[in-house]
Amino acid sequence: MDLISYLRENAGTVLLYGEQHLLVVFFAIALGSTISIGFALLVTPGEAAPQRWSLDWILGAIRDGALLVTAAALTVPSLALLVLLLPLFGLGAATTVTALTIYSLYSVLRNSVAGLSSVDAGVLESAKGLGMGRLRRLIRVQLPLAWPVILNGIRVATLIDVAIAAVAALVRGPGLGQLVLTGLSRYGAANAFNQVLVGTLGCLVVAAVFEIFYAIVERLTVPRGIRV
Amino acid sequence: MSRATTNPGGSADRPPDQQPMIVLEGVSKTYPGHLTPAVAEVDLAVARGSIVMLVGPSGCGKTTTLKMMNRLIEPTTGRILLDGEDVTKVNADQLRRRIGYVIQQVGLFPHFTVGQNIGVVPRMLGWERRRIRQRIDELLELVGLPPGEFRDRYPRQLSGGQQQRVGVARALAADPPVMLMDEPFGAIDPITRERLHDQFLEIQRTVRKTICFVTHDLQEAIKLGDHIAIFAAGGRIAQYDTPEMILSRPANDFVREFVGSGAAVRRLHLIALSTLALDKIATGSSATAGAHPVIEVDGSGRPVAWIRVPGVDGSPALATVPLSGSVYDAVDAMLDAHSSAVAVVDGDGRAVGALRWEALVGELQMRGRHR
Ligand SMILES: Nc1ncnc2c1ncn2[C@@H]1O[C@H](COP(=O)(O)OP(=O)(O)O)[C@@H](O)[C@H]1O
Ligand SMILES: [Mg+2]
Repeated sequence: MDLISYLRENAGTVLLYGEQHLLVVFFAIALGSTISIGFALLVTPGEAAPQRWSLDWILGAIRDGALLVTAAALTVPSLALLVLLLPLFGLGAATTVTALTIYSLYSVLRNSVAGLSSVDAGVLESAKGLGMGRLRRLIRVQLPLAWPVILNGIRVATLIDVAIAAVAALVRGPGLGQLVLTGLSRYGAANAFNQVLVGTLGCLVVAAVFEIFYAIVERLTVPRGIRV
Repeated sequence: MSRATTNPGGSADRPPDQQPMIVLEGVSKTYPGHLTPAVAEVDLAVARGSIVMLVGPSGCGKTTTLKMMNRLIEPTTGRILLDGEDVTKVNADQLRRRIGYVIQQVGLFPHFTVGQNIGVVPRMLGWERRRIRQRIDELLELVGLPPGEFRDRYPRQLSGGQQQRVGVARALAADPPVMLMDEPFGAIDPITRERLHDQFLEIQRTVRKTICFVTHDLQEAIKLGDHIAIFAAGGRIAQYDTPEMILSRPANDFVREFVGSGAAVRRLHLIALSTLALDKIATGSSATAGAHPVIEVDGSGRPVAWIRVPGVDGSPALATVPLSGSVYDAVDAMLDAHSSAVAVVDGDGRAVGALRWEALVGELQMRGRHR
C-alpha cells in the first residue's frame, strides 16, 4: 500500500496519535515553563546594582546551580530517564509528561534568567526611583521586557519535547511514537515502513502547529513598544 | 548670607515655609569593602522652591549624595530630613513616590506608551483614570510635547531630547514637592541642551519645585542653579554658595581651580540684560545727529541695520540679542558680528535699546566697585 492510501485508511488513528502527542507536549511545556519562569523570578535581583552583596551572591549561586542541574538533566538519554521514572509513575502518560517537563526546564530557565537580568539598568533604576516595589518591578517591568526572550526559550523546549515525546512510546506514552514503535517492531511487514514514516512526519506537523501557535502568542503578548 | 548651612535643622522659631525642604546633616557613605568614604560628612540645606546644583569632577560622590535623598542608597552615618521628616522613618517606596527622580539614561519603560510612562506614579497612588489622563495631557503640554501627537507613542519613537522631556514629565506626574535630577541633560547634544535648559527654567517658574540637580558641567550649574555645591574628591563639599559668590569669591584653591580662568566671562551669564540701563535708540533714517545710536527698522519695528552708532566710525554690522538674555549672550553676539554694539530686541523682535562695548565695560566696572 502506498503512503497516501495508508493515510486515507488510517486517518482517524493517526489524528488521534497526533492529538495525544500535541497534548502531552503542551502539558509538559506548560508545567515546565511555569516552574522555570517562577524560579527565575525568585532568583533574579530586582535591580542593577544590589546593595546587599551577600544576598546577591547567594541568589547567583542558586541560579547557576539550577542551570547546571537542568542542563545535566538534558544530557541524560531520554530512554534512561523514562525507565528511571517508571517506578515512580508507572507506564503511560504520567511518566511521559514528567520526563518531558524535566527536559523543558533548562531552555526556559536559561532564557528566563538571561531575559530578566538583561533589562536595561536605567529602566530598573528609574522604576525603583519612582517607588515601584520589588514585586511590581518584576511583574510590570522585568517580566514583560524579558518575555520575548523567555518565549524563545519555550519554543526551543517545545521542539526538544516534540522529538523526545516520540521515544516515550517505549513506556506506553501516548502520541505518534506509538506508530513509529509499532512500525519498528513489525519491520518488513505490510505498512510497517508507512507507520514509521507517518509517525515521523506527524512529529514535524505537530512542531509546525506549535510554531504557528507561538507566532500568534507572540503577536498577542509581546508589548507593541518592544516588538521588533 | 542667611542660608541655612550654618543652621541645617531649621530652627523651630522659623515659620515652616521658610524651613529648608531638604536637609543633610553630617551625611557620610562608605561602600562595603571600600576604605575611604564616597561621601564624607556632608551638610547641606536646600531652600523650598530653589534649585541646588551638585557639581564637581566625576567620582566625587554627587550621585551617591543624590541617591541617599530618596534612599536608593542608605547613608552610613548622618541624617537626611525631607520637609523636616527623617527619610529613614518612612517606607522607601512611599517616600520615592513623593520625590521626582530623573536620570541621564532617562529609563523610560519601553513597553509603555508615553502616556502610560507618565501615569506610572499616579496609578500607583490610586488616582482615578480620568484624573490620570488629564494630568498626562497637562504635563505633555508643560514640557512642550503636544499630547495628541505624543501621548500614544512609544519611547523608541522619540528623539533623545523628547525622551528626556517625557522623563521630566513622568517625575512631575504626582506633583512631588522635590525633584532629584542626575545629569538629566548629560547625554544630549549641546544645541538641544540649551533649549532644554531654557525650558527647564521656564517650567520651574511655574511649578516651583525644590530641585537637587547633579552635573559635572559648571556652565550648566551657573545657568540653572540658585545655589551651587561644589564637590571635591573624597565626597566633601568644597563650597556651597550662590553662583555669583562661587565665581567671584572661591572659598579655596580647589574651587578656584575648578572654576578656572574663565570665571569673569562666566559671570556675564549672571547679569540679565533687563537689569542694565540700555542706550536709547532712535529709529528711521529721519533721525539726525544726536547722542543716541540710530537704527533703521522695518514696518513692524524690527531692526534692519545700524545707521550710526556714536563713537564708532561708519555703520557697524547689525547684531541683535533678546532682552531676556544675559550680558554673556550680548557679548557673544557682538564678537560674532565683529561689532562693538548690539541691538536689544523684545519678544516680538522690536528694538528696545542698544548696548555698546564701552558702556558695558563702564557698567561692569561700576558693579565691580559696588560688590
Ligand atoms: N554601588 C557602588 N558600589 C561601590 N562603589 C561605588 C558605588 N557607586 C559609586 N561608587 C564609588 O563611589 C564614588 C563616588 O561615586 P558617585 O557618587 O557615582 O560619583 P559622581 O556621581 O560624582 O561621579 C566613586 O569612587 C565610585 O567608584
Ligand atoms: Mg554621577
